[in-house]
Amino acid sequence: MSDDIKVDLELDLKGLLCPLPMVRVSQNITNVPVGGVIRAVATDPGAMADIPAWAQSTGNEIMSAGKEGSEFVFLVKRVK
Amino acid sequence: MDSQQITTLTGVLDKKMNRQLKQYLDICARCAICKDACHQYVATGDFTYLPARRAELIRQIYKKYFTKTGEFVPALYEARDPDENLLDELYESTYACTGCRRCMYYCPFSIDTAWILSVAKAILIAAGRGNEMLGQLADAAIFKSDNFDMFRDVIVSGFKDIEAELKELTGDPSAEIPVDKKGADILYVALAGAHSILPAAAIFHEAGTSWTLSMFESANYGFFFGDAEKARKIADRFMDEAVRLGVKEVVITECGHAYRVANIFHEAWTGKKHPFKVRHILEVIDEYIKDGRLKVSRCIDVPVSYHDPCQVGRNGGIFEQPRDIVRALATDFRDMTPNREQQWCCGGGGGIVAISEMDAFRLKSGKKKVEQIRATGAKIVASPCENCRLQMEGLNETEDLGVRIAAIMDLVIECMDLPGRKQAAEGA
Amino acid sequence: MDTYLQITTVVGVYVAGVVFVAGMGWRIYQWATTPKSPVRLGMFPKPKTRGGRIIKMLKDTLIAPHSARIEPRMWLFAMMFHVAALAAFVGHLRLIQEYPILPELLGAEGMNAFAGWAGGIAGTLMMVAVLYWIARRTFGPFKQLSVPEDYLLLALLLGVIIMGNHMRFIGHVHAADYREWFQSLLAFKPVIPDSIRFSNVGWSLGTHMLFVNALLIYFPFSKLVHTIGSFSANLVRSE
Ligand code: HEM
Ligand code: SF4
Ligand code: SF4
Repeated sequence: MSDDIKVDLELDLKGLLCPLPMVRVSQNITNVPVGGVIRAVATDPGAMADIPAWAQSTGNEIMSAGKEGSEFVFLVKRVK
Repeated sequence: MDSQQITTLTGVLDKKMNRQLKQYLDICARCAICKDACHQYVATGDFTYLPARRAELIRQIYKKYFTKTGEFVPALYEARDPDENLLDELYESTYACTGCRRCMYYCPFSIDTAWILSVAKAILIAAGRGNEMLGQLADAAIFKSDNFDMFRDVIVSGFKDIEAELKELTGDPSAEIPVDKKGADILYVALAGAHSILPAAAIFHEAGTSWTLSMFESANYGFFFGDAEKARKIADRFMDEAVRLGVKEVVITECGHAYRVANIFHEAWTGKKHPFKVRHILEVIDEYIKDGRLKVSRCIDVPVSYHDPCQVGRNGGIFEQPRDIVRALATDFRDMTPNREQQWCCGGGGGIVAISEMDAFRLKSGKKKVEQIRATGAKIVASPCENCRLQMEGLNETEDLGVRIAAIMDLVIECMDLPGRKQAAEGA
Repeated sequence: MDTYLQITTVVGVYVAGVVFVAGMGWRIYQWATTPKSPVRLGMFPKPKTRGGRIIKMLKDTLIAPHSARIEPRMWLFAMMFHVAALAAFVGHLRLIQEYPILPELLGAEGMNAFAGWAGGIAGTLMMVAVLYWIARRTFGPFKQLSVPEDYLLLALLLGVIIMGNHMRFIGHVHAADYREWFQSLLAFKPVIPDSIRFSNVGWSLGTHMLFVNALLIYFPFSKLVHTIGSFSANLVRSE
């Protein structure tokens, strides 16, 4: 999905337990430019709520969040 | 340092002042007996991490602004303003502290350094220097409950996936993970991930418990961040749920700080008594095994050791139940030395696992735990706290300990007669 | 010399007494009127009954068994100091009134000899302990923890102890003469007996009291308020 979006950073968060997926995304958000996109892949189902909640409360944008097999894939855009 | 900021920060100290804090600040003899109690000081020898030094920074502000002698002869106490230098050191020593309260155990006056540092965190937050990551985690948790409608479906569908695994594991197609069940006996408060839900669900299923799963995770980053208001809001999420559902008890998963927050802090924060009991899941499991409600076999024959999480043991009062459970599962149980209320902190508490700048320091601070684990010769180290396990897994890797770090519930599951165990163990 | 004695052993004692009593009263009043933390700060295992908690608190405060386990040497010197200080305090009560029974048992000579030995031992132990504390603070790896207050208190204590020992080991003045002086202070009709004034330890008493007065005046504003605070802080441990 969303092949047309340029991903600036790939994060492999497989096997990490909550809240670490959220922590890693947050730590890496400053590693992409404003407007840049992180693609994160997690396996902990808690991330499905946690990462969007983090994005909203910090004012960043979740472009997509979905399940692919047993993995959860997020596209997070740095807004500020 | 402008006077406005000084007024703000001393105002925080004034607001947080209470009898215990005042006595702690007045009576510390600076005898440094606490130094050898702190795993961080022992591992690094760095003055910043000496417990009494951490508290001394708050004492310096207190002496200058809250005592006459300190106001007139500040040099006598090295009393000073909460300036940038002080705040720099305070940030480092406060957010590093795991809140294990081992220093309090050995102090001749039982001075609760971690409590003094909880006030330090409030001061740091007021100075705009609260730890950013812990603050974000706390805000995300609060956001989730304030906008719950937005997340409900995602959360419930996550539970449904785990329910499918549960059916497989128990071999019972009617097995379920109930949510929002009014009148259940137990509200079980897990962590966000499946690993803390599936084993408990299987245990409750086997024991025939009337239970319901909380929509919210028990982890409380508001507590680690040091904002009591946020921490209360985060705990309110499941406490209010428990009241709404009318459960008899709230059972907290294998997590240390969440148990202490629920069991000890929350009533004090709200000023109201809970209309239900609060227990740790291991108290419940231990009871099930002793009552014969849960059948387990002694299936583990490698040596097993147990690490008391500080917030479960020394600060939570649960010492024997986990040991009894492990003894029921394993033929060779080996306690660490020292243990129980004297147990060394592993170094993973207080939210430090989420602070990546402190990662190297955190692993270094686990020196004592590494020595302890090695000395037992155990192959499995069990511990009922997520932060402890994360830390010990880190130590296991960097120090080549060659042990398996496990949650107690995982061991229980392995020793239960579950038809679908193999597949589930791999999936988890 | 007379002026010196007048200041340190008469005026100074009154001033110090008033500051000490008022200061400690003020400190206790402050503690008592500050609201308690709503959060229970106790740690486990804790006794279930009130009586059990109080016994544990007394044991933790008076024997400090946990501190003994983690730093036995410091504990030993600290015990030495505090027990000797308590003994010295008890001994000084002879200044108010001679103890009953003991003098009859030992005889007047025997009593003085006993007091001489007991006081000498206590004084020596205290001195050794204070010297150890000073050394530990000055040369320990955590020496940066100490602040001037710590050294000031230790210096004052050392002064008190050295001058006390000086009187004990060098002087020929007997307790009865000191008692005469102290009782006159209590009766607000101060006199300094000639037996002290013209003895070889008159100035030592003056200097002993100089340090004592300074210590007592500073006491309520220093960490020495742990004398009282340690009991309540240790009680919090099992709340
Ligand atoms: C019931 C009364 C008292 C109790 C329970 C008590 C207990 C303690 C304890 C537990 C310590 C801390 C560490 C240690 O050295 O083990 C200490 C230190 C100290 N105490 Fe006391 N104390 C009492 C009375 C006093 C009095 C009356 C004095 C002074 C005349 C005193 C002077 C000191 C000093 C100077 C230290 C600090 C040692 C240092 O510099 O490291 N204490 N006390
Ligand atoms: S052991 Fe207690 S009294 Fe001694 S320095 Fe540490 S906190 Fe202060
Ligand atoms: S609470 Fe634990 S980590 Fe914090 S200062 Fe005390 S011993 Fe060290």
